[in-house]
Amino acid sequence: MDHLLQILVNGLSAGAVYALFALGYTLVFSVLGVINFAHGAVFTLGAYFTYLLIGGPVGANGALAGFRLPFALPFWLALAVAGLGAALVSLLVEATAFAPLRRQRSDPLLTLISSLGAGVVLVNLVQILMGAESYAIPAGTLAGLPAAVNLGGATVRTVQLLLMGIAALVLVVLTLWLERSRSGKALQAVSEDPLMARLLGIPAGSMIRLAFAISGFLAGVAGGLVGLSVSIAGPYFGIGFGLKGLGVLVLGGLGSVPGAVLGGLVVGLAEALVPAEFSGTKDGVAYAFLFLMLMLRPQGLLGRPQSSKV
Amino acid sequence: MGSRLVSLPALAAALLGVVSVLAACGSDGSQQPLNLSGGVPVGAVLALTSNANAYGQDQQIGLDLAQRWFNGPGLGGQAGGIGGKPVRLRIEDGGGDEQGASQAFNLLIDAGVVALIGPTLSQQAFAADPIAQRRGVPVVAPSNTAVGIPQIGSFISRVSASSAVIAPLSIAKALELNPGISRAAVFYAQDDAYSTSETTIFQKALTTKGLKPVTVQRTQLNDQDFQNQITAALRLHPDLIVISAQAVDGGNLIRQLRELGYKGAIVVGNGMNTPNIYPICQASCDGILIAQAYSPELATPINQTFLKLYKQAKGGAIPPQLTAQAFTAFQVVAEALERLNRRQPLGALKLAEARTALMAELLGGRYDTPLGEISFTPDGEVVQKNFYVAQVRMQPDGRSGRFALLNGSPP
Repeated sequence: MDHLLQILVNGLSAGAVYALFALGYTLVFSVLGVINFAHGAVFTLGAYFTYLLIGGPVGANGALAGFRLPFALPFWLALAVAGLGAALVSLLVEATAFAPLRRQRSDPLLTLISSLGAGVVLVNLVQILMGAESYAIPAGTLAGLPAAVNLGGATVRTVQLLLMGIAALVLVVLTLWLERSRSGKALQAVSEDPLMARLLGIPAGSMIRLAFAISGFLAGVAGGLVGLSVSIAGPYFGIGFGLKGLGVLVLGGLGSVPGAVLGGLVVGLAEALVPAEFSGTKDGVAYAFLFLMLMLRPQGLLGRPQSSKV
Repeated sequence: MGSRLVSLPALAAALLGVVSVLAACGSDGSQQPLNLSGGVPVGAVLALTSNANAYGQDQQIGLDLAQRWFNGPGLGGQAGGIGGKPVRLRIEDGGGDEQGASQAFNLLIDAGVVALIGPTLSQQAFAADPIAQRRGVPVVAPSNTAVGIPQIGSFISRVSASSAVIAPLSIAKALELNPGISRAAVFYAQDDAYSTSETTIFQKALTTKGLKPVTVQRTQLNDQDFQNQITAALRLHPDLIVISAQAVDGGNLIRQLRELGYKGAIVVGNGMNTPNIYPICQASCDGILIAQAYSPELATPINQTFLKLYKQAKGGAIPPQLTAQAFTAFQVVAEALERLNRRQPLGALKLAEARTALMAELLGGRYDTPLGEISFTPDGEVVQKNFYVAQVRMQPDGRSGRFALLNGSPP
């Protein structure tokens, strides 16, 4: 029983990271119908911003070698500010990689490629400025909290428990905002029918920028938290999460907010169910599971057959 | 349709002509005289990006110091280079994968280097070394420890002792320090040639000591979350954990092991033999055991010179093994070149001749290096006398530490 509970906790803790990552993906997809491939780079930037804001020094290899901000924020404040910084970068991505092509009514595939290009540029910029080395947010950042907790016989690291809690909180807040607030409903209207939304006086451009800002904020916060959990393994840190997040996005249902969370948890659980001795094959198992699910339900777990949804 | 068919032979002939011209233009110039206009060209391929950059950084410092020592006057070395010509080292980034290393090898070989140092990872060497072998370019590996590297071919050698020689030492030391150890768990990165090679050695060493592993957990280099593997292993109550992984994934694994409550001994392999693990596992690095091929305490003139240069460059810090091995790799190439030049002036040799003659010279020499005295077997394996076991001791702040050699390390 303890063993099953441990598997469940392992799956949920891994799935929470995927879900948090995929929520940002899905928000942009819901509005524009295209995948923002720069999302992984924004996630990476969130981790670096957090590291710098808590007073972390730049290593020996970047153009900013030895640089350190003249102040050091407490972790939670740094995480929030890093989220805002990532939101600004996400807006910049929208302005450079999405808006010009949208104005020219270009094929969505071109936007896909331009966002990929923006992501590569951002990652390279990080590498030039910060070097390729790994950075770690000090383990004592969560001082006062135990390193791990026992949940009825299952052990989980505290930071992963926090990630689960934050993913759940984000899901609730995002759902409430989309369903209950005026701006959330406006965003849904734009995602359902941009032309009709414009005719109703909803500023579609502003709504798109809002989606990018929220998506960037979520990516930045997720990056900072994952950086705290497992260290920042260089500028390409977000790429692995990006690929997994893409799978989660598709599994949950393109553009579905609850679907992103459910997809993340399902992928996390699928990985956790792989016997630990064979856990080197967990990615293969997760994607095989994704393939099978899509054979049975092509629109994803919570997706609708039509493309427009939030 | 008919005219298109008629034109095909002509088109084929034209293509053949173009290919022939390109092939002639694309020659690597190995039949041309060795170009010494800017110094003696030597190439190095290091992992300066990717997760493996932690190693490349250590190695780059070693090569820079060796170049300064060998070429510069008044540093106690062979001042002035080879017959008055400096060794001109060109370093290329090979990233952390096979493709990057192979491209960098080709680039440097095409540029006319007389020898290559690198690549950083064994996994890369298995892909890139055959290229150098086919093109007849000597390779000195500064950090490849997987079994079978020198056996890739007659132009391949290494100054990094095989994990088959080094890895068992740390297991023996762990058992010496903790005689009550009875349950060992093994972790290794299954998608990495070095890790899979080393874990075989580790597991054999454990079995030899009567410790059949209670579990073998497989990870991947890009893994960052090890919750599944760790909780599965800890359910079996191990009192020794043996890890073969690279610095970033291995560092994360150690940190998560400690955070999830593991308090027993940890032995790690050569992939974590770098101070660049300190920022990753932080205070959790404390106490891990690791075999060493280098001792800063070796009291030979060349090691004292190396230590002095390193301390000057790094604010008094102690050099890690990877830096000493990179310095040694450069030294071996440079001294072999110097001996060859005394025998046959390099300027009179064609590039291909110089490469072949250098390989023979390199394998035939004895070298007094920071690693101690070394030589090579006929197939390019390093013969080294001195090995040690170190324990990582972290400062209380968890930000810095050192590899402290343990008393009673094998001589």
